[in-house]
Amino acid sequence: MPDVSALTPGAKVLLQGNEAIARGALEGGVSLAAAYPGNPSSEILQTLAESAEGAGIYAEWSTNEKVALESAAAASFAGLRAMASMKQNGVNVALDFICNLTISGSQGGIVLVTCDDPSGVSSTNEQDARFVARTAVLPLLEPATPAECLAMMRLAFDLSEQIGNLVVLRSLSRLSHTRAGVVPGPLPPAGPKPYWDPKQAWFTIPVVPRHQAMLDKLAKAGEILGAAGLNRYDGPEEPELLVIASGSARLYADEARRMLGAGERVGILHLAWTWPLDKELVLKHLAATDKVLIAEELDPFVDTAVKSLYAANAAELGIKHFFGQDSGHTPCIGELSPGKLATALAGILGLPWQEVDPDYAQRLETALTLAAPREVGFCPGCPHRASYWSMKQVLAADGREGIVSGDIGCYTLGVLSTGFKRVNAVHCMGSGLGVASGLGKLRDRGFDQPVISVVGDSTFFHAALPGLVNARWNNSDYVLVVLDNSATAMTGFQPHPGTGQTAMGQPGTPVDVEQVCRGLGLPHAVVDPYDLAATQEALYDALQQGGGVRVLIFRRLCALVQGKQGGHPHSISVDPEICRGEDCGCNRYCTRVFRCPGLVFDEDSGRARVDEVVCVGCGVCAQVCPAGAIKLSPKEAAA
Amino acid sequence: MSSPAPAASLDRLVSQVISPGLCVACGACLGLCPHLLFLDGQVAAPDPCGLEQGRCAQLCPVANRPPATEPAEGPLGRVKTAYAARAKAADLEGKAQYGGVVSTLAALALSEGLVGEAVLTAQGPRGVPQGVRATSREDILEAAGSIYAGAGTLGLLNQALSEKADHPLALVGLPCQILAASRMKGHEKYPDAERIGLSIGLFCTMNLPGRGLRALLKENGISGPVERSDFPPPPAGIFQVWSGGEYYELPLEQVRELRYPGCAGCPDLTAEGADISVGACEGREGWNTVLVRSGPGEALINLAANLELIELEPAAAESLEHLGSAATAKRTRAAEEQNSA
Amino acid sequence: MKALGHDPLDIVITGVGGQGNVLASQVLGRALLTAGYEVTVGETYGLSQRGGPVMSQVRLSSGPVLGPLMPEHRATAIVSLEPLEALRVLGTYGHPDVIVITNDRPLRPLAVLAGEQAYPGDQELKSTLASLCARLWALPATEAALELGNHILANVVLLGALCALELMPIGANEVEEALASMFPEKLMGPNRAALARGAELLKEG
Repeated sequence: MPDVSALTPGAKVLLQGNEAIARGALEGGVSLAAAYPGNPSSEILQTLAESAEGAGIYAEWSTNEKVALESAAAASFAGLRAMASMKQNGVNVALDFICNLTISGSQGGIVLVTCDDPSGVSSTNEQDARFVARTAVLPLLEPATPAECLAMMRLAFDLSEQIGNLVVLRSLSRLSHTRAGVVPGPLPPAGPKPYWDPKQAWFTIPVVPRHQAMLDKLAKAGEILGAAGLNRYDGPEEPELLVIASGSARLYADEARRMLGAGERVGILHLAWTWPLDKELVLKHLAATDKVLIAEELDPFVDTAVKSLYAANAAELGIKHFFGQDSGHTPCIGELSPGKLATALAGILGLPWQEVDPDYAQRLETALTLAAPREVGFCPGCPHRASYWSMKQVLAADGREGIVSGDIGCYTLGVLSTGFKRVNAVHCMGSGLGVASGLGKLRDRGFDQPVISVVGDSTFFHAALPGLVNARWNNSDYVLVVLDNSATAMTGFQPHPGTGQTAMGQPGTPVDVEQVCRGLGLPHAVVDPYDLAATQEALYDALQQGGGVRVLIFRRLCALVQGKQGGHPHSISVDPEICRGEDCGCNRYCTRVFRCPGLVFDEDSGRARVDEVVCVGCGVCAQVCPAGAIKLSPKEAAA
Repeated sequence: MSSPAPAASLDRLVSQVISPGLCVACGACLGLCPHLLFLDGQVAAPDPCGLEQGRCAQLCPVANRPPATEPAEGPLGRVKTAYAARAKAADLEGKAQYGGVVSTLAALALSEGLVGEAVLTAQGPRGVPQGVRATSREDILEAAGSIYAGAGTLGLLNQALSEKADHPLALVGLPCQILAASRMKGHEKYPDAERIGLSIGLFCTMNLPGRGLRALLKENGISGPVERSDFPPPPAGIFQVWSGGEYYELPLEQVRELRYPGCAGCPDLTAEGADISVGACEGREGWNTVLVRSGPGEALINLAANLELIELEPAAAESLEHLGSAATAKRTRAAEEQNSA
Repeated sequence: MKALGHDPLDIVITGVGGQGNVLASQVLGRALLTAGYEVTVGETYGLSQRGGPVMSQVRLSSGPVLGPLMPEHRATAIVSLEPLEALRVLGTYGHPDVIVITNDRPLRPLAVLAGEQAYPGDQELKSTLASLCARLWALPATEAALELGNHILANVVLLGALCALELMPIGANEVEEALASMFPEKLMGPNRAALARGAELLKEG
C-alpha cells in the first residue's frame, strides 16, 4: 500500500477507494485509526499504517472490530479525531458498543467506515450494514467514487465533532477496490495533545433523556448535511421518471440513462447521504414527477424511508408509482450494474433495449458449456490442504462419523473440494468453537460423534476465546485444531497477536496459543501438518481421549509467506517409470483425490507430472503417492 | 431385497463389507492402493476409487465367501498327517501359545533360508495388534503369543510383495487370511503373490475387534498393554488376560458378544488352505494339534523334528474327532448365516 | 491527448488469481491517467485470488466519471491471461464487435485436474473464441515470458500487445513510464522487453 501522507496536494493521482478513504482520514485530521482486517475493508488501515509515520498518527490492527472502535472512542473522549474501519460482518461484532456509544456521545470527530460486500465476493454473507445508521441513530454517508470517498471522510470528522456523535461512512467492495483519479487536498497540522478532563464522564444513563439527545443529534446532522448541498438533482425539471439513487447505483443510473438516450425523460436524485433521509429535497422532487425508481444496492434502505415519507405526505403529493425492489425492477440480492438499471428504465419507460443480440446470445450459451467452472482452492503448498487431508483420513479411520465445525479464514474453503468438503458448518468469526462447545455437551443425550473445531490463528484471538473458555468451564468434549499459519492470510498477511508485530511494523509482545492453552489448563500439543503421519497419529489419539477440550496446534507457515521468504528447499518431480497412473493401486490418486494444483495428469503419457510454474515444493504429495513416484530433490541454486 | 451391485470394486467393498460392519480386518485389501487405510484395528475407505478391476473386493474373504460345504477330504480338509506337538526351545517359555510350534516353524523357515521373510501378527500400539514383518528368530519371538483381535496383517504381506525381491515369503495367519493369501497367489493381476512360499494357519473360532476389546478391558479395569490372552478350552467359560503383571478373567459371554459380525459367515475352523495348520491340543496343556496338509509343510515339520526343535506324537483319534465336530459345527453355522444373508 | 475512437473505451483484463491481473490493470490505469484521461479501474479480488477467476475493468472516457462496472455486453476489448477465462468473460461482456487478446496457455481448473470436468481442446477453444468476437489474437504470452526469464511477465507481454492496437489512445511508451513509476530500474529491463515482445506478437499474429 502507498504512503498517502506523501501525496502532493492538488496533483491528481490514481487512488483506490480504500486509499482515498485513508487519505481523506488524514486530511480530516485523524490521530488514531484502528481496524480488524476483513475484505473489502483491509486496505484502509493497511494504507494508514503505511502512512502513519509520515502523517504522525497511530494506526493499529486490533484483535477485533469492537476493540478497534473502542480504541477509537477512547481517542475521541480524549479530544482526538479517530476512526475504525471494518467489513459488514465487523459492524455486527462492534454493534453492542455502537449502540451505547451513540447515547454517551463523543468529543473528537469519530468515524466508522463499513465496507459492504454485495455478491459476497470475499464474505460469508452480503449483509447490508446500513441498518446500523437506523438502529443506532447515526448519520450515514454513501460515496460513489474514490474522489467522494476522500471528500466525505474529511467532512465526516467535522460532522461528528459538530453533533458529538459517531458518523458512519459506507463503501462497497466495488468502490473500495476501484481506482480513479483523485485530487488530494492539504494535510492539517497535528492534532491537539490528548486530554480527558476528569470531570467529564461518558456514559448512557439516564437513558430516556439521553435517547432524546441522540435523536436531536441526528436531526442536527440532517441540517448540517442539507446545508452542505451534497445531495443533488440532475435532470429535467419535471421528469417522467425520477430515479432516487445512492452509492454506486448513482453511476449506474447515470450510465443507463445515457445508453438509452433518455436524458429528457429521466431525472436522477443523487443521495450522497442517506440517513437521515434528506426529506425536504426528496419531497420537492417527488412533487415534480409521477413515477419513481429507487436504485440502491442490497436492502431497501432508502426505499422504505422514501415510501414512509411519501405516505406521510400522500394527501399533498397525490398518487405516485414506485418502482424498485418491490416491483421487481431491481434486485435486492447481488450487485447492481448499468445493464440491470438500463433494463429497469427501459421497462418502465417502454423504450426499446436489447442488452445483447439474440443470435449472439444463443451462440454464447452453447460456447459457455465449454467453460468448466473454476472453483477456488488452497494455494499450492498451503498447509490447510495437508491439514484437511489428515482430518479426512483420521475421521474416516475413526469411523464414528465425526463432525468438523469450521470458522472464518482461508480454511473456510474446507467446505469445498479443495478441503475435501470436510467442514460441516461455517458461520462467523469464532462461531466454530461455540458450535463445537454445544455439540460436545450433547454426550449425555447420546450424541456419540466426535467433534473437531478448526480455527485459524488470527480468528483464535478475534472471537474464539470466549467460546473456548465456555467449553473449558462447562467441560465440553471436543478437539480444537488451531490451524496456525502465522498469518492473516485471507485478507493480505496482516500481523495479529500471535505474530508479535504491530500494524506499524514495530515489535510487539507475541501472544502465543500455547500460553493461552496453558493458562486455561487445556492439554495441547503442536504438530507440523506437512508431516501427515505424525499429524494423523496425534489427531487420532486426541479424538479417542474424550472428556474435555483437547487442543492440537497445526503449525506451518502460510505457503505464500513462505514463498516471500525464499520458498521451500525442494523441487518436486514425478518418476514416470514408477507412477502407476490410472491402474489399480492408484487411479490418479494425487490429481483426482489430493487435488493440489501443482500436479497435473498428463493424458497422453497416462502419468502424473508436476507443473513447475505452479508447484512450490512443499513435498506433501510425496507422502500421499502410494508408489513413491513423487521425488523431492534439492532445489538448484538460482543462476 | 438387495440393491444392484455397484460397478466399482471399492464401492462394493464399502457397501457390502465395510459400511455394514462386516469387515474382519484381515488386511487383504490393504497396502494395494492408497484408498484403503488401517488405523487402530479398523479398515476405512475415505474416498471413492472409481475403478472396476480393483483387487480389493476380489481378494476379500467376506465379500466373496468360500462355500460352506464340507470338503471331500472330510471336516478338516486335506490332512496328510496329524500330530500333537510342542516346541523344545527354552526361549519360547511363557511367550508362545500352547506348544510354541508356530513360532518354532516360522523361525526355522527363516533360519534355513526356506523363506526370506515372514509376515505375522504382533502386539501393536494402543493395545491393538498389528502385522509385522520378521526376518530373524528374534523378530519372531517378539511376535510370539496369540492376540485375539483383527490386525490387518495381510496389508504387510501386500507391502512386502510389492517390493522388488525374489525370496519366498511365509505367512502366519487366521483361516480368513490363509484364504485371501491363496486367492492372491491365483490372481492373474497379482503375479508378485507367487512369492508366498509357506502358509501356517491358525485354528480360529472367533476373532475380536481391537477397539471393542480395548473398551471392554477398560471397563474391567485393564488399561495397560495386554501381554497375553487366551480362551481356555471348554468348559472353562472364561477369557484370560495377563496385563501389567496381573492376571484377569472375563466372562466368556461378554467377550463373545464383541466378536466381528463378519466372522459368522466363515466356514473354516482350521485354515484348510494352509501348508500347516496349528491350534490348541485338547486335554494336553502345553501341546499343539498340528495338521500337515502339503509337501512343503511336511518337509518343514520333519526338519524341525530331526533338528529336535519340536517333539512330535501322532494326534489322538478322539481329539481329531472332536476337532472335526467343531469344524462341522462352525461350517453349519456359517451355512445358516450365508443362507440368511 | 488523442481523441477516443470508442467513448467510453471499456477494457476487461481477466485471468486466474495469482496471474498478475490486478497489477496489469493498475499499470494501464496509471498510464491512462497520466495521459490525461478520466479513468476508472474496477478490480475484483478477495476470495477469488485463491485460484478463482479474476477480472479487472479499465474504463476511460472523455466525459463523465464512469462507474466501476461496465455495462454488460459492451466491452471494447478483452485481454485474458488464460484462454478459458476469455470465454467466461465473453459470457457477460461479449458482443460481435469485441476484440479479444488472450494468452494461449491453459491453466486447468481443479475439477479438470481431478478428471471431473473437461478442458476444451486447443483448436476448439480458439475457434470458439474467434466465432464470438471481431478479432482474436491468441498469443504465446507465457512462453514469451519464460523466454524473458519469468512466467509472471505474461501480463506485461499482453499489455504490450494491447497497446499496439489502433484503438488504444496510448502506446508502449506510456505503459513503460507507468511501470517505471512502480518498479525499481533493475526490473525494468525484462518489463521493457516484455512490452516490446507483446507488440511484436500482436503484429505477427
